[in-house]
Amino acid sequence: MTLQGLAQILASGLLMGLIYALIAAGLSLIFGLMDVVNFAHGEFLMLAMYATFGIVAATALDPVLAAPLVVGAMFVLGAFVYLAVIRHAMRAKANIGMVQVFATFGLGITIRGLAQHLFTPDYRSIQTSWLSGRTLDVAGVFLPLPQLLGGALSCLSFVALYFVIRRTDFGRALEATREDAGAVALVGIDKNRVFALGWGLGAALVGIAGSVMAIFYYIHPDVGAPFALIAYVTVALGGFGSIFGALAAGLLVGLVEAVSATILEPSMKAIGIYAVYLVVVFMRPRGLFGNL
Amino acid sequence: MNRREIILGGASAVAVLGATGLSAQQPAEVLIGAVYQMSGASAQVGVDAQHAFDTALDIINNAHDIDLPLAKNAGLAGLGGAKVRVIVADHQGDPQKGRAEAERLITREKVAALIGSYQSAVAVTISQTAERYQVPFLSADNSSPSLHRQGLKFYFRAAAHDEMFSKAMFDFFDGLRQKGHKIETLALFHEDTIFGTDSANAQQKLADERGYKIVTNIKYRANSPSLTAEVQQLKTADADVLMPSSYTTDGILLVKTMGELGYRPKAMVAQDAGFSEKALYDAVGDKIEGVISRASFSLDLAAKRPSVGKINEMFKARSGKDLNDLTSREFMGLLILADGIDRAKSTDGEKIREALTATDIPGERTIMPWKRVKFGPDGQNLDADPVLLQWTGGKFVTIFPQSAAIAEAKWPMNA
Amino acid sequence: MVEQKLSAQNAVVAAPAEPESRERDSIDHDASLRGFARRRHRELAVAAVAAVAVALLPLAIHDVYLQNILVLTLMYAALSQSWNILGGYCGQISLGHAIYFGIGAYMSTLLYTHAGLTPWFGMVIGGGVAALIALTLGYPFFRLRGHYFTIATIVVAETGLLLVLNWDFAGGAQGIQIPYGPDSWAHLQFARDKLPYIYFALGFAVLTFIVTFAIEDSKWGYWWRAVKDNAEAAESLGVVVFRSKMAAAALSAFFTAIGGSFYAAFVSYIDPDSVMGFQFSLLIALPAVLGGIGTLWGPALGALVLIPLTELTRSYFGGSGNGLDLIIYGVLIMVISLARPEGLMSLFARRRGARASLEARAKQ
Repeated sequence: MTLQGLAQILASGLLMGLIYALIAAGLSLIFGLMDVVNFAHGEFLMLAMYATFGIVAATALDPVLAAPLVVGAMFVLGAFVYLAVIRHAMRAKANIGMVQVFATFGLGITIRGLAQHLFTPDYRSIQTSWLSGRTLDVAGVFLPLPQLLGGALSCLSFVALYFVIRRTDFGRALEATREDAGAVALVGIDKNRVFALGWGLGAALVGIAGSVMAIFYYIHPDVGAPFALIAYVTVALGGFGSIFGALAAGLLVGLVEAVSATILEPSMKAIGIYAVYLVVVFMRPRGLFGNL
Repeated sequence: MNRREIILGGASAVAVLGATGLSAQQPAEVLIGAVYQMSGASAQVGVDAQHAFDTALDIINNAHDIDLPLAKNAGLAGLGGAKVRVIVADHQGDPQKGRAEAERLITREKVAALIGSYQSAVAVTISQTAERYQVPFLSADNSSPSLHRQGLKFYFRAAAHDEMFSKAMFDFFDGLRQKGHKIETLALFHEDTIFGTDSANAQQKLADERGYKIVTNIKYRANSPSLTAEVQQLKTADADVLMPSSYTTDGILLVKTMGELGYRPKAMVAQDAGFSEKALYDAVGDKIEGVISRASFSLDLAAKRPSVGKINEMFKARSGKDLNDLTSREFMGLLILADGIDRAKSTDGEKIREALTATDIPGERTIMPWKRVKFGPDGQNLDADPVLLQWTGGKFVTIFPQSAAIAEAKWPMNA
Repeated sequence: MVEQKLSAQNAVVAAPAEPESRERDSIDHDASLRGFARRRHRELAVAAVAAVAVALLPLAIHDVYLQNILVLTLMYAALSQSWNILGGYCGQISLGHAIYFGIGAYMSTLLYTHAGLTPWFGMVIGGGVAALIALTLGYPFFRLRGHYFTIATIVVAETGLLLVLNWDFAGGAQGIQIPYGPDSWAHLQFARDKLPYIYFALGFAVLTFIVTFAIEDSKWGYWWRAVKDNAEAAESLGVVVFRSKMAAAALSAFFTAIGGSFYAAFVSYIDPDSVMGFQFSLLIALPAVLGGIGTLWGPALGALVLIPLTELTRSYFGGSGNGLDLIIYGVLIMVISLARPEGLMSLFARRRGARASLEARAKQ
């Protein structure tokens, strides 16, 4: 392998890793808030991609310009899902979180069914973006513009998240709810409002990822599943509830995936990711930056 | 069909109807079960197949002036004009569910025959179930060669399998070599389910036999989120021909990733699947002008077989799409199956099986580029000549074999 | 080490017993023990009646399709009960049981096709191998808490899937087909007859039920309950509980693998995606979660509701290709988990509670 080839693999791995991190961030946020793993996360991603596709098809806007609309819609959807579904599942105690997980699993299946019902199972893709197909050639290392945009948005999102969590009332409420949900009620924070905002934010984050990915990926009702599995591993690797752990883990997963596809049989590249997860949690049982 | 045949057919239909206790006045309905994936990653194939079957039923159940089996009159003459109905069942890509649905269709719905199933793994359990219940199974669009080697009596496949398809590709390469083109190295790129591995095995074998060097053989996980590292390896190898065996999703991602990494393969010869899907060309067709795919079908065959154009119009009116490699095989498969039932003059599995083994439909009476439909003892039609198509100017053009070719191949696609 | 296993949620959720009330607790304890014994007798009687009823069911149901649903329902009840031993009673939520299922399916099938060994033998070997693997994994895995443990089980099962998919001896992606032969109990092969499979699956479900029943009343069952309810108990029990949980993992894996061997014989074809996929791990856990996790009847009840419904919706709505079957299935899961977050079993618990209070009022 040439040096250039190696640089290409690392660069591609990092760009993909930023996307993985962005997808995982929403999952991690929701988890940190209320200990619920959202098994419909992949379906959120899928919906965001369809939303982008729909807006582009209807208005001929560039998908990049459609992104804010998609993100807003996803925020509403996330909050709605909390209020309509998850809130009710939170009454459970005995199941130690499992029933909430399976409620989101059911939700995911429902969303997939609805997507197939409404959008048909046809494969879609967007060609009209100014970015699509453009690629930056840096000394023989190719950096596709859509992925660069995705990476940039991912970095921006993490910076924004940092400020939201550290500097806003919502962030403080979020932190407090995470520490002790019972005590929060005593100091007059409306738990449901914080949770609904958290779900909205989590879905909005995956909405950003979806609207960028719609440019360089195909779209169909089952597109989310492989990403969801990677996102679960990424969140756990980074440490449940740690949003910056998700960033570090996302980058690590992207790199490990690219490297193991090169040195292992490519069909077994995911084993590289899984091995890294196991090694990390055996040494650090709470992941890289877990604070639970 | 002459008058005597009609009288004979009618008489035996009465006999059959009498035997099954149905009133002779109303023509019985013949049911055929279709087992496809109707939800999940490949649901699109199932939904398209449904349109193909509806088109075939239109041909069978109504009178048309088209030179195809069963087109002339309405219904199955052999069964007194009985209409055919298709019941579609969903196997969700799961062999167990495929088996359960086949069983349900046979025992509850009393279907006379089965057709299916796209995924080869599911075809295994459907074909086994059909054998156990002695009901014929026509495998319309499965291309795994292992299927007709199970030693089953009720298994039939009218179209080619992967070894025949791959052989056509290598025949094509040999021809190009003779013309002085340099084809030394091949890169295989295949997904890790039955389809991809079978295809790659066949290609590996042929390459070894005919003196082509496989410089890289990449097996990737189907529906992988990213193929960057894989494509980087293809780029490094830069073989004379890139040979992908991919379903639609991976095919789109492959081509997009090639574009992103600035890899322009010298030539690309694909094993159908994703590379025969309109969705792929809608997404990335402009990036792979000149790509060649093997196929069972081509639209430009309409120049030689007028029925192709008519059927395509009928199909397009239903689905909004042109016939493709899969839907054409599904359409033709149902006609062949119904033709067998018609000649069997019965819905009894064994009788239909006998009639199917005696099938002999000349290629001109199909919409396919085949020489004829005639099943061997293992149920495989050996005269199902595959073709190679080249994607040129937004449509497919047949370039191989000579007998079916409309145009000369542009080779290599990226000079 | 084990003490750490108590997840944070657990600590919040469980009402910790106040130390000063220990004496009163022990008096209550005797009474509740008597109630416990009565309840167990009743449960055994109900189980016996249910098993006999299911055994007689094929007399009324001749339809192959419905018999097929019965087999699947019993199989999932048994699988989910096996999962429940570890996931429900021990509180170690595994979403990687597909690996044990796959080991069972592949072991018995490979031994049958390559060495001609009867699947009866193969399934015991497969169960043994699965149990060994569960023990090997259990040692490092039980240090992990909550979701870290769960993700680790997913990751290991996915690794297993990829390895088998790339393992040519085991057929790779092609899978393995069990040769088509005459009906035989020795080979567990029946061309059309579903009755033998119904009785095997029923026996399997009864076996897992009895094992779980026995565990409930054993010292293991007592420890696990204690650890779940009380952090102090967990501390004092430390090492023994760790060992008992290892045993639970092994038992759970053993029975899941038996289910895999059965499935392979039943379908007579296996391939990696259909017996080792992630979806399968979820499907094994789902009946227990919806029925009532960590309850004796939860898995059976969950399977009874879930499996016939998925089969029927797929068969009668799936063919349309408009996603309706998925919508119905997904909504059902959501409705159950929202309406009865503690599982369908809580329906019965509440009625019993209501009856008890009625009786109490009547006495006054």
